[in-house]
Amino acid sequence: MKQRVNLTFPKHSISNPLAYRLARDFNIAANIIRAQIAPNQEGKMVLELSGDIDQLESAIEWMRSQEIEVSSDKREIIIDENLCVDCGLCTGVCPTTALSLDPISFRLDFRRSLCIVCEQCISVCPVEAISINL
Amino acid sequence: MAQSISDINEKIKNLTAKVLTVSELKQLVQAVGVKKATAQVDVITTGTFEPMESSGAMINLGQTDPPIKIRNCWLDGVSVYGGLGAVDLYLGASQEPEGETAMNRGGGHVIADLIAGKSINLKMIGKPNDCYPRPSFDTIITKDSINQFYLFNPRNLHQNFIVGVNSSDQTLYTYLGELKPCLGNAVYANPGAIAPLWNDPDLRLIGIGTKIFMGGGIGYVAWEGTQHFPLQKRLPNRTPVAPAATLALIGDAKQMQPQWVKGCYFRNYGASLMIGVGIPLPVIDEEVVAKASVSDAEIMTSVFDFAIARRVKPSFGAVSYAELKSGMIKIDGVKVRTAPISSIYRSLQVAETLKSWILAGEFTLTEPVAFLASDRSFVSQD
Repeated sequence: MKQRVNLTFPKHSISNPLAYRLARDFNIAANIIRAQIAPNQEGKMVLELSGDIDQLESAIEWMRSQEIEVSSDKREIIIDENLCVDCGLCTGVCPTTALSLDPISFRLDFRRSLCIVCEQCISVCPVEAISINL
Repeated sequence: MAQSISDINEKIKNLTAKVLTVSELKQLVQAVGVKKATAQVDVITTGTFEPMESSGAMINLGQTDPPIKIRNCWLDGVSVYGGLGAVDLYLGASQEPEGETAMNRGGGHVIADLIAGKSINLKMIGKPNDCYPRPSFDTIITKDSINQFYLFNPRNLHQNFIVGVNSSDQTLYTYLGELKPCLGNAVYANPGAIAPLWNDPDLRLIGIGTKIFMGGGIGYVAWEGTQHFPLQKRLPNRTPVAPAATLALIGDAKQMQPQWVKGCYFRNYGASLMIGVGIPLPVIDEEVVAKASVSDAEIMTSVFDFAIARRVKPSFGAVSYAELKSGMIKIDGVKVRTAPISSIYRSLQVAETLKSWILAGEFTLTEPVAFLASDRSFVSQD
């Protein structure tokens, strides 16, 4: 199964080779969706983990034991259909084509499964129709 | 077959007029050709829905007692021009609130709020004199508590517009929205061949006095728009390769509907107003249909690099609207995602709505009172 997790690393644990340990110890494929990691700073990473359900649970437990904060709050992009005018300006800055215009109707099409929550669309929207749930 | 506009109006009143949106007309011409299509249509409806920052509202408040000669005035914190008659005001769509309080909002939002029936704070400072002694006044207005409230937009429809890209290494904030570095995206402004002015490229049908759909109400073409440049270079099908004709529009804002008039804001650039505008084209002869059958593949514009913030920007060459609307263009061999700033979906809806008004016999067509200048040159300040 697949599970998306948000990780927060304290400064001292950014040297932990996380993706390697997940693969070796738990047989988990960790796809890095977003990462913000720099020396001597708190790090943040969004991972999509795929593997056996029990292994996923053990992996999350192990990450917590390494003082990595693990949350699976689903931060999601929300599009308010009452405000959206289907201009499509957001589609040009969406790096994964989660936002696109239907080639026939030219209505905005949001495929949530492709969204990596990079939030670039939020500030581009000229009618403030896009937000993030926190 | 040729018919006059009054022939067509008779059909509209008898509910026998054949009305097609411009997209339906283009499909019909592809299927049966211009000659047969002409026999099957009396009116073609076009539409656009896009940000038009050169827009604004004329407002007359009615006098206070004692009366006031307004010199400075703010609606919801947005400065309004009062250098007219005592309580005549002009609220520009791109005007923004002064100071640090700016909240991604401007004149366009105030106009849209008034149209939506909301109450707006009004603060005014007068110049007391023997006619108008009052020095200041604060109140709240709605569209129902003021006399005139009409949009007079000095430049609305553009016959064509450019495409913006950014070759620099940082994001640029422009009137086309955010342009991402290293050719990260390309933004085009015009919704393409469904928009009014492509379909009457030499303005043979559209002129001063032409009755139109404006913001969900009825409006009129008032004059040529600012920067009207009909002498722009044109393709053999007479469509221009860059911005050319423009229109100034006027219409009663009290009739307009919120879904067709929206305030908008482009981050780090400024406020604007999105308006739906539709123009009906009377099918007086085959030529009308031939010109209105132009497709996205047959109309072109140019891609400009906004990294050079000069009057003349370097160009990356020409693209067709069919390419732009495919979602991807190639610039120097690199694939770049394209996005419109106008709503193509809503543009189609405007054409559909205007069609339904005409079919219902509620909207008849007009002959222009005068034609727009066809030889206006374009100067710059040097």
